Formats: sequence, structure tokens, C-alpha cells
Amino acid sequence: MVGKDCVAIASDLRLGSQSLGVSNNFEKVFNFGHVFLGLTGLASDVTTLSETFRFKTNMYKMREDRLIEPETFANLVSSTLYEKRFGPYFVGPIVAGINSKTEKPFICGFDLIGCIDFAKDFIVAGTASDQLYGMCESVYEPNLEPEDLFETISQALLNAADRDALSGWGAVVYVITKDKIVKRYLKSRQD
Amino acid sequence: MDIVLGIQVEDSVIIATSKAFTRGISVLKTTDDKTRVLNDHNLMAFTGESGDTVQFAELMQANIQLHGMREQVDLRPKAIASFVRGQLAKSLRSRKPFQVNVLLAGFDETTNLPNLSMIDYLGTRVDLPYAAHGYAAFYTMSLLDHHYRSNMSVDDGLRILKMCSKELSTRMPIDFKGLYVKVVDANGIREVDFE
Amino acid sequence: MAGLSFENYQRNQFLAAKGHGVPKATSTGTTIVGCKFKGGVVIAADTRATSGPIVADKNCEKLHRLSPKIWCAGAGTAADTEMVTALISSNLELHSMSTSRAPRVVTALTMLKQHLFKYQGHIGAYLIVAGVDPTGSHLFSVQAHGSTDIGFYQSLGSGSLAAMAVLESNWHEDLDKEGAMKLCSDAIQAGIWNDLGSGSNVDLCVMEVGKDAVLYRNHLTPNVREQKASSYKFARGTTAILKEDIFKLIDVEEETIHSEAMEVDA
Repeated sequence: MVGKDCVAIASDLRLGSQSLGVSNNFEKVFNFGHVFLGLTGLASDVTTLSETFRFKTNMYKMREDRLIEPETFANLVSSTLYEKRFGPYFVGPIVAGINSKTEKPFICGFDLIGCIDFAKDFIVAGTASDQLYGMCESVYEPNLEPEDLFETISQALLNAADRDALSGWGAVVYVITKDKIVKRYLKSRQD
Repeated sequence: MDIVLGIQVEDSVIIATSKAFTRGISVLKTTDDKTRVLNDHNLMAFTGESGDTVQFAELMQANIQLHGMREQVDLRPKAIASFVRGQLAKSLRSRKPFQVNVLLAGFDETTNLPNLSMIDYLGTRVDLPYAAHGYAAFYTMSLLDHHYRSNMSVDDGLRILKMCSKELSTRMPIDFKGLYVKVVDANGIREVDFE
Repeated sequence: MAGLSFENYQRNQFLAAKGHGVPKATSTGTTIVGCKFKGGVVIAADTRATSGPIVADKNCEKLHRLSPKIWCAGAGTAADTEMVTALISSNLELHSMSTSRAPRVVTALTMLKQHLFKYQGHIGAYLIVAGVDPTGSHLFSVQAHGSTDIGFYQSLGSGSLAAMAVLESNWHEDLDKEGAMKLCSDAIQAGIWNDLGSGSNVDLCVMEVGKDAVLYRNHLTPNVREQKASSYKFARGTTAILKEDIFKLIDVEEETIHSEAMEVDA
């Protein structure tokens, strides 16, 4: 979600195989410098892709002698996914960050073959995406301060996850401003 | 319907695997060891398609031992988990993937910490305090959820394992012929008497 | 793009057979149109992207630039229209640099159809290609399998029937620029209102002989969201927090200090 000079990215912490919950500590949000990537979908591909992007952003950092910016990273994600057009990774990625040069907030989402969905307001993905669309569409408002954005994104996530049997088991929220990142673990239902 | 269980306690990891080797409706062997020693402080337990399991476990064993010999440094638990996961994820993209699920029990001599990783044939890896593959998970997870404490001793761990074993023998539809139990700690890997 | 990797194809078939659901790609269940007028050509598109019955993007861009004066509207699998367009655009630029000539619409069309034919329809891009070049103004369409059409007016996508109804009844030979713009936006609106796969706004692009192409992003916005009746802002402290970590981003400055000369052993 985008706020006033800030962005937030959040995810639940469940890893399960069908109905059986396996872990309540499976983080799906990764950071590459000041760019954040959320990955939902097949857990194996989530790990594989997070490792691929760690490799690619590290190579970028060495070649360019600077960190990758959100817009650039979004195109890296897109081309990496489209490379596997006819044998895709089963993921639903979202990118969030603040451009360190322009200080503009940036978020976007992708489908599994890398079509970018640029949005001004919010992006959702995962098994609870239908519920999240509903929550965000009603609860979101533009230009929220970081603290208010935290409440809005947390409530959107928590309430959407409560209407999805496969989501929940803890949640984590990152609120990103240009010089500070706050990571919070939320208290959530455990059923 | 093999049983593979792992419990991480304060300074070690306990691994339990069923002794029965079954094919179809027959139990072919009652002394089957579903584990392989990867190096001095790392043990792998496995289940899955028969044939694939031992092939895969011994492939990992050979590669990890080769690394130890070449580099004169043994791979640490997290490195082994990362390597094994990578191999399974790669295998999944091949013509005939290994259908093997594993538990990795290890003790890191550098940090002096035990480690338990669960990896399935899709390449899903999680590091957990206690873990089980297959149907055994459905019967044992509730017991472990209830009784597990992170600062338990090996004996405490074995006591919970006893409860799990009892539950499994009463609820599982076939006799799994008991469990082999192994402990991985600072001193290496040892088998313990369990019955 | 050094060729597409089929690495995961077999794995996914295996996964699908094992009963794992296959995720859906975004498609631009779309209305796109194009129409010629004397001295130029107009193309237009709606701005809705869907994934199944869900509206994935309410204001996406379906008008792509192949070269400064050749534009194209895309329908079908969103990622495919995006990527095939970017690829051809880049090859067109290289081609025009090596030939020292402005790129032609037929060249773009040929490159597109040969690429799409090679992939036997698996790249799901349905495009309306239009533009002006030294030989005049042109309007074409390409299907995913590689077949192409020429015409004074074209429509493609799930809303193409609604749009074509408007084009067929209102198009005439001596249309001027304003008339063509009106006809195209009317045709898109037919899609927006009558086709479920299309919606939101009208994007438009006008290409005139001897002039720069002009993109009218959100030319019409007949579906502006109403101001919300009340705010759902939550009071600070509503959400219970278990743990908080704060990371401060700091600038690290590196300074290289040059000494007189490097010391070397004799």
C-alpha cells in the first residue's frame, strides 16, 4: 500500500500443505537493499526465486556500484518471470519501495508470467486475494501517514486472512519511509 | 506410510524412523534404517518412493562427503539444507523427479546450535523445532504442539517421542515394527535404545 | 531476451497432474479499435485488466509504442502483448538504425507476424498495429497465430463485437481527425458498457502524416470512483503488535585516499 511519502508491505506467516499447517514462521517478504519483494504461491518457487533475486541484485550491486531501485527491480522481476513463459514459476509477486533518488513511493504487482500491474494505491496477491481486494477497496484512502498506513494495511490483511482458511497463523508488516524501515509482527488469530 | 519424526531439543536433535519396509500389502523387512549419515554432525532421514529414497540419500551423502574431503571443511547444517533443497528443486524440473521427503538433523559446531530442517520433494524447506512427514504428522503434531518446550533435555524429548510412538501404534492401520531413534549433538551421531 | 526457457514445463505438468491448481495469468479481456481517416490513423483501447472474473487493474495501458510514429493496441494475454511489443520495438529501432530510415508499419507488422507464427499461437497476443511512415498512414491487425488483416477500421478483443457494431454503422470514407477520434472512442465505449471483460477509461492515440503521434492517456474517464461516504481510518493502536524492529537507513560514504606511490619490495 502507498501512503504519504511511505509504503507498506505485509504478509501472513503460514506455510501449509493443503489443510495441514506446517510452519507459522515462513516469511514471504524479502528485501534487496531498500526494495521489498513479497512472494506468494508454491513455497519451493518462493524460496528459489528469492535466492535468484538475491543473486541477481548482488550482481547488479557489483556492476553498478549502487543498490537497485524499485522500478528497475520490477522490470528485473518481470523479465525473470517471462523467461519462463511456457513453464512458469507458480508465484504471485509484489514489489514495494521508495526510490532513493526521487523519493517517490513505488508499488506494483505481477501475474505468474511477469505482466506488471502498476498501481497508485494498493496491490494484493495470494490465496486470500479476493478477500484482500474487498478489504483494500473499502478501507484504503490516499495520503496516509506511516502510522495510519500501518493500521490500514494491518486491518486489511488480518480481516482478509480471517476469511481464508489457508491464510493467517501470524502476520508481519513493514512500513517503509525514506530513511527508516519498521518491521512489526502482528498479534493474530491462530486457527 | 513410513514414519519419520524429528524433535530439536536444547542441545541436540532427535530423529525417529520406522523399521518396517513395506511394498504393497507386504512388510518385506523389519530392520530398515531410513537414515544416512552425511558427515560427523549431520544426519538425513527420508521417506517417499522406494528406490528414489536411498538413491537420493546416498547421492547427497556422497556429494557432502566429497565436499568435506576436497575443502577439508565439513558443510554446516544450514549449508546442507540449502544444498539438498536446491537439488530437490532442480530435480523437480527434470524428466523424472526424485519423490523424496527428508528431515535433516544437524549440529553446528561453530555456533554450538542444533538444527532441524524439513524439506519435501517440491523443494519446500522449513527449519522447525519439531517435524514429521506423511500421515505421521497428523497423529503426532498435536502431541508435540502441546508438550514441546524449546529448552527440553534429550530425555524430555525422548519422553514425548514415546508418547508419539504410542499414539502411532494405536492409530496407524499397519504395524510399522517400531522405531529407530538417533540423536545428533556436539559429540556426533548416536543411536539410542528405544522400546 | 535470449530465447524462452521451457525448464519448468514438465515440472508444471507433473504438478498439475498431482492436483495442484495452476495459477491464472492476467488477460486483457479487452476492447481495442483502430480507424483510418484522411491524413492519418487513430487507435484506441479500454483500460481494464482481468484475471478470471476479478478486475486486476482498473487503469492499465494497452497502447504500446513500437516506434515514435507507430503504435499498437494489445489484447489477449497481458504479459505476451507487453513483451512481444517491447521485443519488436527494440528490433525495429535497431533495424531503423542499420538502414538509416524511419521504420515502416509493414516492417513492424511483418516482424510481429513472423514472431507470433513461430510460436504457433502459444504467445497469446492479438494486436492492432497502426502508424505513419514515409509511405503514408496504415492500419493492420495481427492474430496470435500470425495471420494479419488490413482495413479502414479494425476491432479486436472480447469487446470487438460491440465495437465493430459501432464501427460498421458509423464509419464513412471521408472521416476527418475529430470524426475518427469520436468514432473510436464511441466504439471503445460500446465495449466498456456492453462487454464484461472491458471497462474503465478510453485511451487514444492519433498518428497524422507529417506530425508527431499524440497519445491521449485517459481521453475519456466515464467511470470515476465516487468520493467515499465516510472514512475507514483506524485509530492508531488498533492493531496489536507482538514485536517491533526498526532499521535506520544510513548513507555510507567511501573515500579513497591516494598515497604518493605504492610501496614495492625491492
